[in-house]
Amino acid sequence: MATEVIESQVQVKFVTKQEKYAVPDNPFTVQSNVLVADLNNVLNALLKDVHPVLGKPVEFDFLLCGELLCSSLNEHIQEKGISTEDTIELEYFERFPAPSPQDCLMHDDWVSTVQANSNWILTGCYDNSIHIWTAKGKHTLAIPGHTSPVKAVSWVSLDRNQAVFVSGSHDQTAILWAWDVIGNSVECMMTCRGHEKGIESIAVSPDAKYFATGSWDTNVCLWNSSLSDEDSVPSKKRSKPEHGKSREPLTTLKGHREAVSAVQWLDNKTMLSSGWDHILKIWDCELGGMTTEIIGNKAFFDADWSPLSNSIITASADRHIRLYDPRSQENIVKMTYTSHMGWVQSVCWSKTYSTHFLSAGYDGQVKLWETRSPKTPLYDLSGHEDKVLCCDWSNPALLVSGSCDNTLRIFKAKHANHGI
Amino acid sequence: MPPFRSGLNKRKTEDNSKVEEKSSYKNANEVNLLGELKTEGDNTDSEHESDEQDSDEEQDGVLFDDSGDSILDEKDQIDEGGNESSELTDSEDNDDEEEENDSQSESDSGQESGLGKTQSGSSDDSDGTEETRKRTDQKLMKKKSKKDISKGKDTKIEKEKQTEDLKNNHNKNAVEKLQKQIDASSITVQKENAVVNLTATDVAFLPLSRSSGGPLPFSHFHLPDLIPLDILSPPKGTDEYESGDTSDEEEKTNTVGEVPMHWYNDYPHLGYDLDGRRIMKPPQRDQIDEFLKQCEDPDFWRTVRDPTTGQDVILSKEDLELIARIKESRVPNSEHNEFEPWIEWFTREVMVTPLRAFPEAKKSFLPSKSEQKKISKIVHALKMGWMKTRKQMAEERRAKKERQFYDLWGSTNEEEEQRRGIHKHIPAPRRPLPSHAESYNPPPEYLLDKREMKEWNKLDETPWKRKYTFLPTKYPSLREVPSYERFIRERFLRCLDLYLAPRAIKMRLTINPEDLVPKLPSPRDLQPFPTTEVLQFKGHTNLVRSADFDPTGQYVVSGSEDGTVKVWETSTGRCLRTIDLGTSVCRVAWTPSQGLSLIAAAAGSRLLLLNPGADIGAHRVAETTDKLLEEPPPSHDVVVDERTRTAAQWERVTPEQWVRGVRIAVAHFKPVTQVYLKYLQCLHFFRAFLTSKYTKNLARDRERYAADTIEFAWHGRGDYLVVTMPDGASRSVIVHQLSRRRSQLPFNKAKGLVQCALFHPTRPFLFVAVGLDSFFFPLATKGAKKCITHIRAPIHAGSVGLKPTKKRRWNNGSADVM
Repeated sequence: MATEVIESQVQVKFVTKQEKYAVPDNPFTVQSNVLVADLNNVLNALLKDVHPVLGKPVEFDFLLCGELLCSSLNEHIQEKGISTEDTIELEYFERFPAPSPQDCLMHDDWVSTVQANSNWILTGCYDNSIHIWTAKGKHTLAIPGHTSPVKAVSWVSLDRNQAVFVSGSHDQTAILWAWDVIGNSVECMMTCRGHEKGIESIAVSPDAKYFATGSWDTNVCLWNSSLSDEDSVPSKKRSKPEHGKSREPLTTLKGHREAVSAVQWLDNKTMLSSGWDHILKIWDCELGGMTTEIIGNKAFFDADWSPLSNSIITASADRHIRLYDPRSQENIVKMTYTSHMGWVQSVCWSKTYSTHFLSAGYDGQVKLWETRSPKTPLYDLSGHEDKVLCCDWSNPALLVSGSCDNTLRIFKAKHANHGI
Repeated sequence: MPPFRSGLNKRKTEDNSKVEEKSSYKNANEVNLLGELKTEGDNTDSEHESDEQDSDEEQDGVLFDDSGDSILDEKDQIDEGGNESSELTDSEDNDDEEEENDSQSESDSGQESGLGKTQSGSSDDSDGTEETRKRTDQKLMKKKSKKDISKGKDTKIEKEKQTEDLKNNHNKNAVEKLQKQIDASSITVQKENAVVNLTATDVAFLPLSRSSGGPLPFSHFHLPDLIPLDILSPPKGTDEYESGDTSDEEEKTNTVGEVPMHWYNDYPHLGYDLDGRRIMKPPQRDQIDEFLKQCEDPDFWRTVRDPTTGQDVILSKEDLELIARIKESRVPNSEHNEFEPWIEWFTREVMVTPLRAFPEAKKSFLPSKSEQKKISKIVHALKMGWMKTRKQMAEERRAKKERQFYDLWGSTNEEEEQRRGIHKHIPAPRRPLPSHAESYNPPPEYLLDKREMKEWNKLDETPWKRKYTFLPTKYPSLREVPSYERFIRERFLRCLDLYLAPRAIKMRLTINPEDLVPKLPSPRDLQPFPTTEVLQFKGHTNLVRSADFDPTGQYVVSGSEDGTVKVWETSTGRCLRTIDLGTSVCRVAWTPSQGLSLIAAAAGSRLLLLNPGADIGAHRVAETTDKLLEEPPPSHDVVVDERTRTAAQWERVTPEQWVRGVRIAVAHFKPVTQVYLKYLQCLHFFRAFLTSKYTKNLARDRERYAADTIEFAWHGRGDYLVVTMPDGASRSVIVHQLSRRRSQLPFNKAKGLVQCALFHPTRPFLFVAVGLDSFFFPLATKGAKKCITHIRAPIHAGSVGLKPTKKRRWNNGSADVM
């Protein structure tokens, strides 16, 4: 049977949505056991005829029935149960170029959290400090201030002169910092007290007016992220000199039964939170109530939402990454991505590609995924020697990940000049 | 007498002619008497005389023919007269006359006329005044009667009677002649016969009187008047009219009532009649008169004196008959026919229409209860052997007669077996049938050849492995078969076997211990449970003995042989805190209370309560915990007995210890060996978090690490701790209360090696694993130490685990992580 299949030939037709790589849709007969590389060769040969302008051969990825072709065509056909009698339409697009390792930034302790922006990389560390690095990998500032491991950091705003960011820690506080970029000095602008247990995650709203924190005390708190001290905080609490001014949460959203592992803003009014109690909740921040609830069957360690694809990816301990649709009323996992060997701690959507995301697991791997390829990630960004605790793709050019081996690894994504 | 009456009478007489004949003689006498009387009366009452004469002449011929009839008719009249003359003086004469008539039946009638004369004479003698009075009486009565009835007819009848009487007198001789004839025919008539005769005439007479209703008024002939048939009216001094006429009015009734009659002995009268007049005593008779009367009166034998009236009453034939019947103890009523045909009204045959409409009584178809009782008694007696049936008796008798033999070969009788408790006979196994090999002349193929012989000899040491228990041997004839040489020895051995062999079936169950273990559920049904190792908590340098989650699942605490307690972050495996306790820590547990930040750790014989610090868990909670535990509560209210004090002592924490995190230390009197099964269970559960090295070496190191440790468990509220020390004997279970810093010994007696004790997470129960058993104690009622449930789990002894309930998940977050 196998030999027979190997012998057989299939008729394929190449289609694409990228016009510059368009080829005539003549069906071609290829061997059924043809690999992606062989198809690439065929396509490039075709392209040479059609578009002689393109000098270099282009790497393509092929989609068959909505799924990325990873193995040989034959296996894929068998898996999907496609009839080999008909002409098979192979959609192709330019492959995401492989990210290249750029830097490895050493820390004093485990890197628990990281967020990059256009120029800077902010990291939180288990030695209670926050670090600011340039995108090139130069250490700019180390900020002590927390009394417990820093578990979450996030940029609030970034000017030429001043950058504002917020950090959450296990010492139950979130601190709003103002960083004078030119003077390279940082100031603790506001200490946000309101959680009874350690803060696990922080997210800043798209308009940067508010930020939300998720904590081990099962609550989600909403805070004002303005630096001005207009809100009413009791004077006695304000009188703590070492932490500057205090701030109380605007709203406390109660509803989770276990620790809140991740928060994420969908828009300026809507927020997503994931918890160890297996539940994804979408909150209306203006009303202060829950709008949607997605009940999973595993504890969620991280969740991220992409405005491009409007879907949620979550990380769990059972090594699976799950894709949820927040609009669906049923608690159905749309897709499951399995390649990690263990606990997946962090996931992050690409800001530019609707189909790409990053994941970090305790198996020391950071993986770049394409949503249409559930079995195989696009690339494994290896390099960490211990558990990877965090990953970030906020800067589309930088794929950063922090690990228990006290390093922050930066991969540079070659900017593909297309987006789907 | 009217002709129709005579005709009737004639017919009657014809019916019983013979009786008539007999009686005719007597009647003739009466007639005579009457005639005499009447003649006497004629003198006084002359007014009817002429009529009577006429009638006499008219009826001459007839009278002769129907003499009997006429006599009877006359008699009728006489009776009436008798009735009337209850107080007549000469009635006794009449009686005498009657007596005479009966007693001397043979005596010729010639005497009678004479007698009549004498009687009349005597009556005349009595006294004139009385007679006149009587006469007036009779007249009065006559007048009465005349008012009632048509007088003319009556007078006519009276006249006829008179004439008849006269004629009778005339024909007296002829009658006498007839009389004589009759006498000749029935000369030997006895008294009884006479009675019979009399009655016969009476019987004949009665219907006559009844039937004669038409022309004659009833008043003359009604029954009571006719019955005293033989009471003769006093012949003398009575009016003829009166005698026949006013029969019922004439009844003399003594009105004195129920008084003794001797009160009137001295008076001439006996009493008073209805009109208040005296009833005069009849003339007294002396002995001679009595004798004479006896001689003369044929009716004397049947004459009795009525004490109330003082008159003689001649018993009628009916009365006599009645007496006779009573004497013979027959039914007094003569009309009663004793031999009537018997009509069977109530037969057992069911009729179509029942005689009685009501249904059968219930008892008629219910079996009798008393009978049933009797029967049941009998049956019971039969069953118990107190009573025997005839058949049994007969059999017994037969058995007695038969000869008795002693069963010499009966090895054991039943009683003996019962006594020795041998109830079940164990039959010997059935021996197989003899095969050809056992024959004295077996076929050659059964005989052992050389090779087989060699094998046979080889198995000399182990003869039970041989093919046969005997050696097949061939003999030319049965005669040459020798006796079995080992017979005696084997018999002896057999006897030995029997002597020592148990004779009862041992009821022993053959159960493998494994069968008692419940079947383990398949792992699929037990999900979620840890399947893959996801995290390793690295840091301990020696065997990890215990680990526990904090109530929220954020942290893990572990105790190790290296003397440290480490607090880990669950999600990353980061060691957040290390507390060095110096001695190996065998057991750590986080307090279940969310309001406290405490870890209990068993280090050696000490139980230490550690506060992991402000950076672990909630700050506020850690602070409050420290505040709570900084100062021990006032202990004056706590009375601790010696037994408890020696068992557990609450120590003061040194500042050095305080800095390290130790908040409370409780020293126990006995460092004890930890229960390893519990240890195993812990390890199994947290395998994902423990280094595989220790897990692998666990079994090997089990003995080596038998350190001095204690076992404990938290109460659900976090205020109590139960500490188990297997070597503590009766004090092996101690309950510590943190808030008051005191200890309790819940049990006074040790039932065995206490291996483990646990509080129920939500309910006030204490579970204790003792030896092979698990006990379950409720704590709600203070001092209730009774074991309610007793669970025997032989395999899982020493470890008690509680299934987490929905209300409270024991390892909430962390377990879900798996």
